Order: sequence, then C-alpha cells, then structure tokens
Amino acid sequence: MLMIVLRRVPRLLFVVVAVTLLTFILLELTPGDPATLKAGLAGTPEVVEELREELGLNDHLLVRYKDWAVDALQGDFGESVVYEDVSVSSRIRSALPKTLETMILAELMAFAIAIPLAIRSAQKPGGWVDRWSSAGSFGLLALPSFVLGIYMIFIFGVKLDWFPTISSDLPGLFDDPAGNLRGYFLPSLTLALNLLAVYVRLLRTDLIETLQQDYVMLAQARGIGTRRIMWRHVLRPSSLNTLTAAGLNVGGLIGGAFIIEVMFSYQGMGRILIEAVFGNDYFMVAGIVAILSVGYVLVNFVVDILYSVLDPRIRTVDA
Amino acid sequence: MRKRLGLLFWVSAVYIGVLVFLALFRDLLPIRDPDALGIRTGDCRQFQDPGWNSYFGCDNLGRDLFSQVVHGVRPALFLGFTVTIVSGTVGTLLGVLAGFLRGVFDRVVTTIIDISLAFPALVLLIAVRASFGNGIVVFIVLFSVLGIPGYARIVRGASLSLSEREFVDAAAAMGATTWRIVRRELLPNVFLPVLSFAFIGFAVVILAEGGLAFIGLSLDQITWGKLINDGRVEIRDHPHLALIPSTVMFGTVLAFNLVGDGLRSLVAPREVATARRLIAEGSHQPGEEGAVVHVRNLRTVLHTPGGTVEPVDDVSFSVAPGESLGIVGESGSGKTMILRSIVGAFPLADVTRGGTVEVAGVDMLRSPDATIRRTLGTEIGTISQNPLTALNPVRRIGDQIIEPMLVHGTRSKQEARDRALELLEQVGIPAPEQRLREYPHQLSGGMRQRATIAIALANEPQLLLADEPTTALDVTVQDQILRLLDGLRADRGMALVLVTHDLAVVKGFTDSVAIVYAGQVVEYGPTAEIFANPQHRYTVALIRSMPNLDLPSHSELATIEGAPPSLIDPPTGCRFADRCPAVQQKCRDESPVRSGTDAHSYSCWFPMSAQPVEVS
Amino acid sequence: MAGTGKAHLRDGATLEVHDLVVEFPGPKKSVVHAVSGVSFDLNTGETLGVVGESGCGKTTTGRAIMQLEEATAGSIILRGQDLCDLRGPALRSARRAMQMIFQDPVSSLNPSRRVKDIVREGLDIWGDPDGSFSADRIDEILDAVGLGGADVGERRPHEFSGGQCQRICIARALVMDPEVLILDEPVSALDVSVQAQILNLLQQLKDRFGLTMMFISHDLAVVKNISDRVMVMYLGKVCETAPTDQLYANPAHPYSRALLASIPGHNLDLPPASELISGELPSPIDPPSGCRFRTRCPAATDRCAAEEPILQAVGDDHYVACHHPVAVSL
Repeated sequence: MLMIVLRRVPRLLFVVVAVTLLTFILLELTPGDPATLKAGLAGTPEVVEELREELGLNDHLLVRYKDWAVDALQGDFGESVVYEDVSVSSRIRSALPKTLETMILAELMAFAIAIPLAIRSAQKPGGWVDRWSSAGSFGLLALPSFVLGIYMIFIFGVKLDWFPTISSDLPGLFDDPAGNLRGYFLPSLTLALNLLAVYVRLLRTDLIETLQQDYVMLAQARGIGTRRIMWRHVLRPSSLNTLTAAGLNVGGLIGGAFIIEVMFSYQGMGRILIEAVFGNDYFMVAGIVAILSVGYVLVNFVVDILYSVLDPRIRTVDA
Repeated sequence: MRKRLGLLFWVSAVYIGVLVFLALFRDLLPIRDPDALGIRTGDCRQFQDPGWNSYFGCDNLGRDLFSQVVHGVRPALFLGFTVTIVSGTVGTLLGVLAGFLRGVFDRVVTTIIDISLAFPALVLLIAVRASFGNGIVVFIVLFSVLGIPGYARIVRGASLSLSEREFVDAAAAMGATTWRIVRRELLPNVFLPVLSFAFIGFAVVILAEGGLAFIGLSLDQITWGKLINDGRVEIRDHPHLALIPSTVMFGTVLAFNLVGDGLRSLVAPREVATARRLIAEGSHQPGEEGAVVHVRNLRTVLHTPGGTVEPVDDVSFSVAPGESLGIVGESGSGKTMILRSIVGAFPLADVTRGGTVEVAGVDMLRSPDATIRRTLGTEIGTISQNPLTALNPVRRIGDQIIEPMLVHGTRSKQEARDRALELLEQVGIPAPEQRLREYPHQLSGGMRQRATIAIALANEPQLLLADEPTTALDVTVQDQILRLLDGLRADRGMALVLVTHDLAVVKGFTDSVAIVYAGQVVEYGPTAEIFANPQHRYTVALIRSMPNLDLPSHSELATIEGAPPSLIDPPTGCRFADRCPAVQQKCRDESPVRSGTDAHSYSCWFPMSAQPVEVS
Repeated sequence: MAGTGKAHLRDGATLEVHDLVVEFPGPKKSVVHAVSGVSFDLNTGETLGVVGESGCGKTTTGRAIMQLEEATAGSIILRGQDLCDLRGPALRSARRAMQMIFQDPVSSLNPSRRVKDIVREGLDIWGDPDGSFSADRIDEILDAVGLGGADVGERRPHEFSGGQCQRICIARALVMDPEVLILDEPVSALDVSVQAQILNLLQQLKDRFGLTMMFISHDLAVVKNISDRVMVMYLGKVCETAPTDQLYANPAHPYSRALLASIPGHNLDLPPASELISGELPSPIDPPSGCRFRTRCPAATDRCAAEEPILQAVGDDHYVACHHPVAVSL
C-alpha cells in the first residue's frame, strides 16, 4: 500500500511544477511591470532599472523560476511588490487559517447532515425524507454560492440578525471560540449547503446501488438487522465516489471560495489571490499559487490513502 | 423501459424557450431603455420598489430593473451557447479518442485534465482579461478552454467502457478504420449523455460569469451577475435590487439543470425505487411432521413501478432432513424468486406473499420480525450464484464467517473464531489461518464459493438453500463443489434445496425435482422417476433440448418454439399452452389442476401417459 | 501436457496456426502467459471445437486469430497469407475473410443503430463489388437466420431477446461471406431452449453455406453436439485433439478424462473426477515447468516436471501431449 502511495509522488510533484511554471509564464504575459509598480510615482527610469536588477526581472524566465523555486523550498516566497515590507509568507500565514477554518467547518457541517440524510433516503427510497432531500439537493445544486450567500445574509443577517454579516477582524479560534465560530458560521454554512447537495445525491445513489448487491441480500438472508447492514456492510463500499467529490471540492475550496470571502468580507486565500493578480503583485501570486497547488496535491494524496483504507482491493493491485 | 419526461421538464423547457425569445427580440419589446436614467426622465424614482410602474423596481439612478434583467438574458444565453458548443465539441473528441486509443494519447489527455483541475482558474481568468480586456470574445475563449477538461473527463470515462464492449471489437474485426469506429460506434452512444451534461455546463457558464462579476470582472454589457453585484451593497435598505436578479438567475440555472437531468434519465432510466415492504396475506397451514422446510400454495407478488409481477404462483413442496430437492427452470421462470420468498430477501419493491412457508416449525411469513431473523440466522444457510458478489469485498473472510455467530449469539468471540477455522477446513480451503485474514478478491472463484458455504454453515442450519451455486464456475470446480454440498448434506442430515437451470446437475445430485415454468411448478417428483417418465410436455421438451453426452455428435436438438409468457400479465389457462405440441382448447380456458399422485404430481390436462403425443 | 508440437497439422488446410504465443503484461512487470505455443489447423467446411476451462487461453487464441489481440510470436496463415505480417490497410483488407461471434449477444450490437444498418456494415465499409447486395439480399440473410419478419431491419437491438440478438450477429457475419467463422462461447449466455435453437441454426447454416467454424466453449456437451473435431486446452497449451466421437469415447489425456468425468450425470466409463484431478489452477504468470498439468495430475512423474510433452499420435487423427496417456481402444 505504501508503494502505491509513493509511486504517486513523482506525478504529483510534476503537477505542482507544471502549475507554478505556467503561472510564471502567465504573469510574464500580462501587461504591467512589477518594478515600475513598486517604484511608484517616484520612480525614475534609473530607480526602476535598479529595482529590476534587484528583483531579478532581467534574467531569463527559467532562471527566475529556478531561483524562486529554490527560495520557496526554504520557505521564502519573496516580498510583495505592492505593499511595503510585506513578505509573501506572512500574508499567506494570515490568510490561510481563515480559509482553512471555513473550509473545515463547511465540510464537517456538510457531512454531518449529508450522511444521515443519505442513509435515511436509501433505507426508505420514495419516502418523504427521500423526496424532500432529493428535491432540496437538486435545488441547492442550482443555487449559485453568491445567490445563496445573498439570501443567507438577507435572512439571517439582516432580517433575523442572528449572525454577523461581516467576518473580518474576528478573534482567533482559541481566543474566543464562541465569537469566532459565530462570525464564521454564515460563510461556512453557505459553503456547506452547496457541498452537501452533492454529497447527499452521490451517497444516496451509491448506497442504493450497494443495497442491491448479492452480499447484502445474503446478509439479510442470514437474519442480520437493517441497521447493522447499513452501517457495517453498506456504508464503506458506497463511500468512494463521495470521497472523490469531497477531495476535489476541498482542493478547489482552498482557493476557490473567493466569492464567499468577498461577500462576507474576510481576507482568505482567494481574496488575496485576486488582489495580487489585479495588482500584478508578482511574487505574491507565485507564492499563493504554489501553496494552492501543493494543497490540492496533498489533498489528492490523502484521498488516495483513504481509498486504499476503504477498499482493500486497491491495496494489493497496482495503480 | 424509458422513463417519460415529467411536468417539471416541460415547464423548464418552456421557460428556456421564453428566455431564448427574449434574448433574440429584446430590442423589439415594449420595455424601457435599460440605460435610461429614470431620475432624469422621470419614469422612475431613485430606488423605487417593485410595483405597477416598474415591475422589478429601479436602482439608484432610476434605471428600470425589469428591462435590465431582460437585457441580461442575451449575454447569458449567448455566452452559454457558444462556450458549450466549443468546449463540448473539443472536449468530446478528446475524450472519445482518449478512451478508445488509450496508450500515450490517453496519458497525455489525463495529464492535461489533471493539471487544469489543479490550476487556479482564477489566475488564468484575471491574467487573460487583464491582457485582452473584457469583450465577449475573451470570455468565450476563456470559458471554453476551462470547460474542455470537464467534458473530456466524462466522455473519456464513457468511451473507456464503450470500447470494452464487443460491438466495437466487431467493427474492428470487420475492417473498419479508427475514424469510422469513432464516428459510427462511439460518438452516437456518447451523444445523449453529453447533451445532458451540456445543459448543466450551460448553467455553469452563467454562474461563472456571475461569480466573476463579484470581483469586478464582468462583461462589458449588462449581465445578471453585474446587477447582483451592484445590488449587493444596498441589501439592507433596498433588497430587491439584489434579490430579484438573484432569483431570476437561480430559476434559470434550475431550469437548465432540470432539462439536463431529464435528458439523463432518458439514457439511464433511473429506477424509481420504492421502499421495501413485506406483506403477508392468507393463513398458515402447518406441514406434516418431519419436514425441515414445508412450502404450500406459496404466492408472491411484486409491486414495481413497471407493474405488478407474479413470479411465484401456487408453489408447493417439502424437504425432509437429509434429502435434496432440485428446482429447475430457465431464466425468468421464477425459480430464484422461490428461494427469495422463503427468506424474504428482495430488492427494493413492495412484496406480498401468501400461502405457507414453514422452516423448522416456524411460520416464515407471519411471525414477529425477531423470530424470523433468528430462524434465518440459525436454521437456514443460503448460497448464491455469483461468488464474486456474494462476499462483501471490503471485509475480511474471517469477519464474514464469524458475524452470523456473534449476531445471533450462538458463540463467544473466541469460540466463533475457532469454529471459523474448523469450517474453512471442512469446506476444503487450505491454509485456513491465513485465509481468515484475507479479502475475497485474493481468493479464486472456487475458493470464494467454498467460503460462502462456510458462512452458510456457521450456525449449523438444518436447511441449505443453494441458488445456482456452480453456474459461474468451471466444470471441474463445479464437480468439487457439488460433491462438497452433497457430502455436507449426508454428514449433517441437512435438507438441501438446489436451484439450477442445468438438468444434468439435477440428475446427478438430487433426490426429487420440481420443474418450474412461468412461476408455477409444472411437475414435481423423485428425480429418477421424472427423468424416466416425464408427464408434462415442458419437462419432456427440456430434457430433449439439452445437448447430452449420450447423443452422438451433430444430433439435431429438440427445440421449443416461442418464448415464456410475461409474468406481469400471465395468460389464463395453462401457461405453456402457446408452446405445447399437444394443446387443446381446454388448456387455454382452464388452468390445469394438480394431478397425479402425491409422490409424482404434474399440472396438465393431457399428460404424456394419458395421451402420448410425440414432441417433434 | 505441454501442447507444443505440430504432428497433428495437415496439408492444404484453410487456416493454419503455428506456434502461437500470446503474452500480456501483468501486475508488477510480470508476464501473463495466456497462450504458449499452440498449433492447429482448420479444413474447409470443418468445425473445430475448442474446449477448456477458464485461463486455458481458448478465447485469447480466437481473438489473436482475429487480430484483436496482438500475437507475441507465431504465425496465422489464412489461404497462404500470414496475418501476423500484415499491417494497416493490408490487414484490414484481410480481415474480411474472418468473422467472429462473441459471447454476449446484446453487447455485440451497437444499441443506437438499426438492425439493417448493423447487418450491412461490412458492405458499407468494403463496397459492393458486383452490385449483387441489394436490400433483398440483406432480407434473405436475415431470413436464413430465422429473423424473416417484416420490419426486423428497422428495429433496434434492445427490442430483441438474447437469442434473436445472436442471430443478428450471425447474419452480420454471414453478409461478409467469410472463409472462417470464429465463435467465442456463442450460446453460454442463452437459456437452454434458446441455445438449442441457435445450435440447430448453426448446423443448418454450416450445411447450406459450407461454413468453416472454430467453436470455442467451456460446455462439453454443446461442443460435442456441434463439432467435427475437438481440441482440449489447458493453461495456454493443447492437451489433446481428435475427431469428436473418438475424443468423447476414448479420452487419452488425463485432463480430458477429468473434464469429462466432472460433467454431472454423465454415463461415461470413467472413474469419479475427484480421482482424476486435484488442487487448484496454477497462475498463468508462473506456470509449472514441463507439463503444465502435472501439479494436478494423478499420474505425474519426475519426467513430467523435467520435460515438456509433445503432441503425438495415439490413434487415427488422435493426438495427445502427455508422457503417460491412457491407452486408446481403437
């Protein structure tokens, strides 16, 4: 099993390199010169040229990439060209926890609701739980996150005033758990609702399919109760597709929740990325993209490991 | 059976039609100019609420929201349409070729898909837009490029499984070129799933544009996303500015999803599974002493969405300890359903059972749930046809053998483990300690079947039900398994019920046999007697249509013309009437009653002994 | 049993297979030896039954002859031309002469096409050399396989039963007027009564069109019914080959005897199967040395491990690859 996992490493590394290199090329193509930006209004041509040398902008693209990569591996992502004396890693360090927290909360909420709903629906297909949750998930899937966000803000924030609608400047999780969680509740819930629609549908379909399998029929013929069959026999083999979806979602959420971040006004990874690209903040973009792709790759890794834990057939067969 | 498209589908389709109309003819409609500043022209006050003057209200400059929304239809649809066409076509071609050609081409395509999934699309969007502006062409190119991997991935999956099917081999064997195969064999079969995905993809494009509006990257025209984003800041005081376009967008996306979903259900008609309910009707008639299993007048009705099916009609038999009964029939005859009716394990459907099923003295239809389950677990062992699917692939063999003992409390954990080892030895599996820890996929077909038998024997049942236990196995393995079952039966005095389509198996291994046709037992008696002296013409025809080693090569086989009747609407009278060479009018009018003796019974008005008509 | 050797080949056969080897890559860079040196031939108008259990390589052999799998070594000679040497257009052209019927009749037909287009496919690809294939001819062939109904051609495969689908597949093959017809378990997926219909049909067609057939199956009774000669395979090798009635009356190879003895309810003069075969099928990745059957054979000796047996005559057109074949009564 370890072998299968280790074999994936080169491929995943390749993806990270490819993504970051492509980013460099893309940044190269966008108009705007970082050095000019940094010099600002005071920038005479000499100053700009000096900055260009300093930032290494006159070197060949691949050389620049190599230098950047070497530094990045040691944890140094360079400095922002837009903000004074702000290192890329410090900005990432303040944004990443927020993104991670909302993402983890969202996934937890989504699974906490999706698993029991799917099980109930699969046990009594066509029953009212099933029909309502199917309709509900279908509707949720059609609801874009920004629309949902607006509804949420309107209902919970404006009309009911239960939760704050702006989630910036929140206390840390360990300093004031209640305040922190209350502040992140709405954005996490908004994310969670979209996720859970996908999970409920996938899990329900797979559960029903597994329930038709021979070995389930045989277990019933052995007098094993429905509850035990559901949780011990059926849940594990049915969870693979949902796990894949969760992996893809998590990978995407690390950088893709920008709409939520904009709507609820907090500086997560998505938001700082947008700002960085708009501002031609060269190193910032490169650094953030690097973290994002590493994150995506790591998540894939974990999903692969979980796969082989859940399905022993994968453990002994080569990828 | 293709599912019909529901009301929601058609409503959505009509709604989309209306949108198309609005997109095409927006300039001809009697609505206000969306850019007209109502505060100047006096048509609309600032932030006017929705009402008769302006259906959707007005924004901070008095611009009419209704006309803005209507104007937003065209860019949404146009963008969606062009992007879907482009990315759909390119993605489909790539996917089909990747799935069919495999090898290097496939690996390149999968790598591209992987990278594009990992790449933050945002960066691409912003960068390109920064370079090239926000005209609609830029958006079309960007979204298309981003959309291709999605199509490629699902089409590749479909293409991979299609390429495994024999009709593709057949086309290749015919001498078709690769291009011809792609065009004629693969693409047509991929068309409908792609079309359904395309509708959903269409909606995604609309959503993506909306999302981009949030970071100020909208198109250079009025779009719903822009309206929502603009209205967002006024959500507290003037919610209609954001809520109305949001709702319109939601409704549109919903409509597209419904249409896409409806198309998908045409391709893969989803089973509208209903809850499983088991109902028992009628009353119980206890059997005579000594029989382990006693079935009398068993009738099973399945209420499925497709109709009412009666796979078992008035079936009776009993088996004493140490005896074996063969139940023979072709596919669809209901023979498997008889076993399922005894244990009450059905796929999702409402099931009604009537008559009597008694095992070890327990009424299996009407007793309380707990009693039935206990009997199932301790008195009955079941083996099914396919050793591949009979075992849970993610649980160890040992756990699966031990479980029935623990669940029904017949042994402690340690005792159960010891017994599991014992059982594995008894069924002839070598190296049992190692096997306990292994998973089903690590065993061969024959070994898996033996493991299934071990599980069935765990609690020392009096009755063993075997559903086509050797159909999926090689003939040498089949011989071993059948002998094993026979030996176990003799050693333990178990009753064995063996369901099969193979008369040869019945001949070699059973004491009595029941021939099943269209859900009914048409003949029943001792095996030797039935083979020597068959009374029902189906039995005769079955025996004579089997290629038999006793016949010389190139013998012509007797065939039975026609096909068995449907069990949804069975005919009145004898169900074999349409195919019987000796049929008379009475056969069609009245169902034959069971005649003959208790030992050898048959359901025929004119059995062989009464009127020996040669079966041609 | 080994199964190499060409003592049994005859002159002037329509199809000759020499030393066919087919290997696949297995997990962890191993090699699956699916077919290891199989030779046989087929005369015009003859039906060869190829019989064996799972893993014996019979399906792979059939597919290799059809060039659906690539042969690792060996030659396949059809009317004097070695198919393994052909590539591209030449290969495609040669494929017209052989057709295959597969095991799953429903899966063998493109669900989105009409029956008449499916049956015509060969003509559409290769053109109609003398214009003789009109719509009537298609109807004629459909009629010959027992599907003569009015609008059969307009319907799609899902409207037909398994047996009828198999008839359509046969019609499709016949339209090409093939020299050799290879059938891979054509009746295994069908009910007994339908099976009988198809077997009778094949016999009729053989008589009417003079078909040359290679009939692959695991069902010994079916093979006996349809074949003129039979070839028994085990783990990628040939064990025994003989005329049908001769093989079933006098099986000489221990594996053939075990196979026949395993048939439930047989009336042959053989000891019980448990005395003729033991153990499990070895892995094709690491097959036993010498005779591949020796690990399960009651009569195995040291010689069987050291030396691979070659096919030798033990009777009239009856060949066995075994060091200790059972004596054949003539």
